[in-house]
Amino acid sequence: MIEPGPVTRALLETIGEVADDSHLAQRICTLCVTGLDIDGAAISLLIEGAEMATLWATDTTAELLEDLQFAMNEGPSIQAAAMGSPVLVSDLAEPSEASSWPMFADAVAERTSVRALFALPLQWGAITLGVLDLHRIQPGGLSKVQRRDVLAAADTASVLLLGLRTGHGDDRWLDPAMSHRAEIHQATGMVLAQLGVSATEALTRMRAYAFAEQRLLSEVARDVVSRQLQFSPEMS
Amino acid sequence: MSQPKDDREQLGRAFVELADTLVDDYDVVDLLDRLVGHSVELLHADAAGIVLVDAHQQLRVLAASSEDAELMELMQLQNDEGPCLDCYRSVAQISVADLAEEKQRWPRFVEAVAQQGVFRAVHALPLRLRGQAIGALNLFSAQPGALPPAALALGQALADVATIGILQERAIRRAETLSEQLQTALNSRLVIEQAKGVIRQHSNLTMDSAFDRLRRYARARNLRLSQVARDIVEGRLDPNALTSALMRNNRT
Repeated sequence: MIEPGPVTRALLETIGEVADDSHLAQRICTLCVTGLDIDGAAISLLIEGAEMATLWATDTTAELLEDLQFAMNEGPSIQAAAMGSPVLVSDLAEPSEASSWPMFADAVAERTSVRALFALPLQWGAITLGVLDLHRIQPGGLSKVQRRDVLAAADTASVLLLGLRTGHGDDRWLDPAMSHRAEIHQATGMVLAQLGVSATEALTRMRAYAFAEQRLLSEVARDVVSRQLQFSPEMS
Repeated sequence: MSQPKDDREQLGRAFVELADTLVDDYDVVDLLDRLVGHSVELLHADAAGIVLVDAHQQLRVLAASSEDAELMELMQLQNDEGPCLDCYRSVAQISVADLAEEKQRWPRFVEAVAQQGVFRAVHALPLRLRGQAIGALNLFSAQPGALPPAALALGQALADVATIGILQERAIRRAETLSEQLQTALNSRLVIEQAKGVIRQHSNLTMDSAFDRLRRYARARNLRLSQVARDIVEGRLDPNALTSALMRNNRT
């Protein structure tokens, strides 16, 4: 088993220590800056479906990069959130790299010295939470090891943020290593259909049930999938 | 016993379909799903699956010939030990003609397969790229027996097509693209699992049939599998539309 990279490892140790999403965002961004070869980081969250708002930025450049994208409605983060795909740009000066967001690329070149940008969607299946954005003045990609680390960290960060969103200040709801098991996602789908709610709300209800019954979420998911447990709007 | 002529026709059909898929705007999970189907037919296997490695270095199932939980479990298990794990690590084909003889090699895996009592032979072919593997194609057979060299070569060719499909060949040069593509494909798979749940709830089907509905709807309309799945989960597409579409198709 390959060891998690420094950023992911530090993030895993964070579990249970942060009370709200802006503290968590701060922790994630800071860990990225110290653990990777980048100059700044920011996390923006998706609110009300389409709009994004910056939750935390490590410096004014990071904040500016977010603001520019929101104002222009284009950029690697917007692309990453829309496509559900990481956007890793090693050099903005390369025409092929910035072809999807030319206005943003020009604005960045005019107003900053940033050349490298890495936008990682924070997502959990169809639930898109937001984006983790990293930047560097010096052009160049992330090393293979750092790329692996940051992708795993984004994955872990998604689980932690979703934990805060669907529980009561508790991000310790799911072992990140188990977060890809099909059952929990299948159960999410079944419950959202049973209740006529969003995937996030379905997850919140399953967690509340698991907590009330003192059971593991994975067990509840299994019962939902095997139809031993059905959620209804009347359930408290 | 299969007829050589049938095999050639099947191979031709598979080739045409895969080539067709690759030139259009396609969905990686859909491509792998088709490939798995062709692998089963062309290599006369009883089941097949494709696993890809994620950012946590875990092998995850991207496509399988059946959504049966037991098959999934056999592939998932191999994160700890098994022919698939060895194949991925060594970037080499691992062929097991009779699992009963490999208890020493992979005790837990062999035990799990024996418990299920379905498969006797397993073959794992690496999805290889520049000396490394990004995953593997797993083949399972109910009968013990080796795969003849021609079949292994064909299997490897199918695995290579899978790799190319994931990377969209012209972008292979960019290491970033590989990471981007893998992450996207892996998350797409989760969206599909969520959609299966929604469909199952609405129509009381098994997970396998639920996936089948989804896939048929997407293909009939030339839509991206993961987009249809996302539309279902986000409420933009009524799951009942999948059923009526199916019935309409059956009547034609």
